[in-house]
Amino acid sequence: MTELTPKERVMRLFKKEPVDTMPFFSGMGMVLMPAINELGYQFPKVHNNAEMMAKSAVMSSKMFGFDSVVVPYDMTCESQAVGNKISLYEDSIDILYPTIPEKIWKTMEEVEFPDNITELGRIPMVCEAIKIAKQEAPDHAIGGWILGPFTMAGQLLELDLLLKGVFKQKDMVEQVMDRITDMLIKVGKAYKDAGCDYMTLREMATGTDLLSPRTWKKVIQPRVKKILDSWESPKVLHICGATDLIVPMMNECGADALSFDIKNNLLETREKVGDDMLLFGNFDVYELPCKEETTAEEAVEAIKVNIDGTVDAVWPGCDLWPDIKVENMKAIVDTTREYGKKPSPAVGRT
Amino acid sequence: MATQEELLEKLKEGVVEYEEDTVKEASQQWLDEGYVALDGIMDGLAAGMEIVGDLYDKNEYFVPEVLMCADALYGGLAILRPHVPDSEEGVNAQVVIGSIQGDVHDIGKNLVKMMFDVAGWDVHDLGRDVPLENFVEEQLRTDSEVVAMSAMMTTTMLGMKKVIAMIKEKNPNVAIMLGGAPVTKDVANLFGADGYAESAGNAVSEGIKMIGRLREMRAKG
Repeated sequence: MTELTPKERVMRLFKKEPVDTMPFFSGMGMVLMPAINELGYQFPKVHNNAEMMAKSAVMSSKMFGFDSVVVPYDMTCESQAVGNKISLYEDSIDILYPTIPEKIWKTMEEVEFPDNITELGRIPMVCEAIKIAKQEAPDHAIGGWILGPFTMAGQLLELDLLLKGVFKQKDMVEQVMDRITDMLIKVGKAYKDAGCDYMTLREMATGTDLLSPRTWKKVIQPRVKKILDSWESPKVLHICGATDLIVPMMNECGADALSFDIKNNLLETREKVGDDMLLFGNFDVYELPCKEETTAEEAVEAIKVNIDGTVDAVWPGCDLWPDIKVENMKAIVDTTREYGKKPSPAVGRT
Repeated sequence: MATQEELLEKLKEGVVEYEEDTVKEASQQWLDEGYVALDGIMDGLAAGMEIVGDLYDKNEYFVPEVLMCADALYGGLAILRPHVPDSEEGVNAQVVIGSIQGDVHDIGKNLVKMMFDVAGWDVHDLGRDVPLENFVEEQLRTDSEVVAMSAMMTTTMLGMKKVIAMIKEKNPNVAIMLGGAPVTKDVANLFGADGYAESAGNAVSEGIKMIGRLREMRAKG
């Protein structure tokens, strides 16, 4: 069969139609330093300029043969849009993503979003980057993402306010979560309208190393569901950390695919959700592509284990860390194509 | 008059049930009865926190509960600690602690800090988003025995490697503790760290286990 374009491969995968081979793609950041260096950019600068953001994303994908192009890279856009300052770490020699050093809102009561949130801060710039990426890489699937409401709350408020509030100020927590949810629906829609082919909802900080399954059901699930309901397919739900206890609830939220990091027991998850659900992730983004001591051969073996672990695509379990070892990254993508020629549980082969 | 056992039970129970007022009341009563303050801390508050650690390990408690238990513990500690004579501390150690640059979350760091506070260490808390060289400077300034760092994001954890190298170069005897969600034991070993706490959450159980070991040492000593 003729080779599919990266975009065709991803879009067919989401529809669970047969593909030529397993996609390598992500719904989270996958910008890499070799691409940034090749373009002559600096890491702290790519977050503030639509063209640099789009071009570094496209270059990363093309250099390494990824099927997707993903923007934005950092988690501070919405928080910046409501007036918080961001740190770009321009003087640091390390690769550091923008953060919010101090939050203007000190209490949950203060959380209120302007109606025109999508016109503020860097949100229009991200939309612009999505459009440029689409033009520059018409054959690639363009992925956008937003944080889930609880994780986003950590960018807007001190997280322990919310964590303790889950018990001490239930009503207030519910109200804040609803306000953030409504804001995120608008931002997600703006990214989708700008041309994203699929969206990922990253409710990262809600694994059971932080919240109980009970709290997840009560506080997180209804909002995650509401956001996913507001998007057309394809849509992915990602959660980091310990997720085994909440897999069945994640599976009720209306996502087309579920994504996990390395703490998930994927084989058990596959049993819980059945062969029809798309499963992604469970791939160690530091150990395999970055760690100095990991050889390309070891990375290849680990990707085979990942594929045998019943994933339907090789998809990093978190943002790809930008400072990858070129040899390992290439070996990982090559292995995905070769070893991924056999069908996965939810998707056949042409 | 309340017996020691009754009050210890109340302190423990108060921490486990995150009843800050109960813990404060029992701590004050403990002092009023003339009992030894350090016993109240170790066999009451810290013992309660050990139970909290077990509940966390068993997935009965999660971070919100643990944070509230920590508040209750600190409520008691504020009352009891000033009554522990320096000579009785048993520990005369110092620790430099902080979340590394690029990381603005400090829940894990604060829970590890609690363990050192309970044990009576002098804690030099650098806060969060701390530039790498500040850890080195503060260690040199204070001559602390331990440097504890946390990173929640994969992207910030590599900075730890540099700090460890900088500190070990200047002072090879300093013990380094790492914690944070993306740091695995392998990574900690690779970076040359001496101790490790697996995540914001596991920092809780690791920290609490260290309290347990301190209590054992005290019982033997």
